[in-house]
Amino acid sequence: MDTINSSIPWSLIMPIIVLQLILAVVGLVSLYKAEAIRGPKWLWVIIILCGNILGSVAYFIIGRKDAS
Amino acid sequence: MRQFLLFFRKEMLEMGRSFKWLWVPLVFLMLGIMQPVVTRFMPVILESSGNMPKGMTITIDPPSGMEVMAQTLGQFNSVGLMILVLSIMTLISGERQSGVSQMIFAKPVSYLSYAAAKWAIMLSLVTASFVLGYAGAWYYTVQMIGSVETAAALKAALLYMLWLWFTGSLTLFMSSLMNSAAGIAFVSLGAAILLSMASTWLPRYAYSPGFLPEISVQWLQASEKPTGDLGAAILCLMCMIFFFMIAAYQVKIRKSNV
Repeated sequence: MDTINSSIPWSLIMPIIVLQLILAVVGLVSLYKAEAIRGPKWLWVIIILCGNILGSVAYFIIGRKDAS
Repeated sequence: MRQFLLFFRKEMLEMGRSFKWLWVPLVFLMLGIMQPVVTRFMPVILESSGNMPKGMTITIDPPSGMEVMAQTLGQFNSVGLMILVLSIMTLISGERQSGVSQMIFAKPVSYLSYAAAKWAIMLSLVTASFVLGYAGAWYYTVQMIGSVETAAALKAALLYMLWLWFTGSLTLFMSSLMNSAAGIAFVSLGAAILLSMASTWLPRYAYSPGFLPEISVQWLQASEKPTGDLGAAILCLMCMIFFFMIAAYQVKIRKSNV
């Protein structure tokens, strides 16, 4: 495990983790503020937290109701 | 012109409120970054995945920088294209269904500037997302894999962007024709996939816009540079203008759902 850890340049991997966090946080904030969404809110919380990029994207595309 | 700017500002505001200005570029950026990172760590990932017999060794030839850039374009062409179509599919049909367009056209406003604002916002979203994703992929490829030929990469990016513009225009065109969001996404994605698949068995002089992704990949990889890019690009632009005209006309004759 140590060899794997030391062989990864964390400075280049960090941005990916940070981007994912931003996406998840924005998704959660907009979910918290949203009045009408498709499906129960707790389900979307789980999907956003566990689904990496795809979870947040799925929420933005399917979950939000204010298409226009 | 004033009306166009007004509509454009309205579209900007709406895209901001639905967070599209945030998540579409972010997803493209992540798609672009992931490819070089995953390619670079493929041996480590395989090694730690576990279910391999002891003593087995896998040697993978490290790919060149240009190859990784071409793979990134492949990622954009599957996941990226889908994200793009899904994010803009209700741009015209949504307002028609919710009755907003009926309210707008109660006043004497120009249909052309309305449609032009839709097109402008779509093009800016597509361009911003793709440029961000491509730049991220380029930076990471240079950092982790190897050098990238500047002129070829820029030319490939330009051709590929035209393809994304074409798909976006197609989606807006479908959005002006149909009401169901799922139908719009299905038809536009299907048409885009069919067009790019057709490029493998159509002759080169057919100049289909579907050639564009293949040509841009060839610009990155092949030693001999491909031909027919100018014809495909011109036909692509002509298709976009054609889609725009029909969509503007559709906006005029179908103001509402009822």
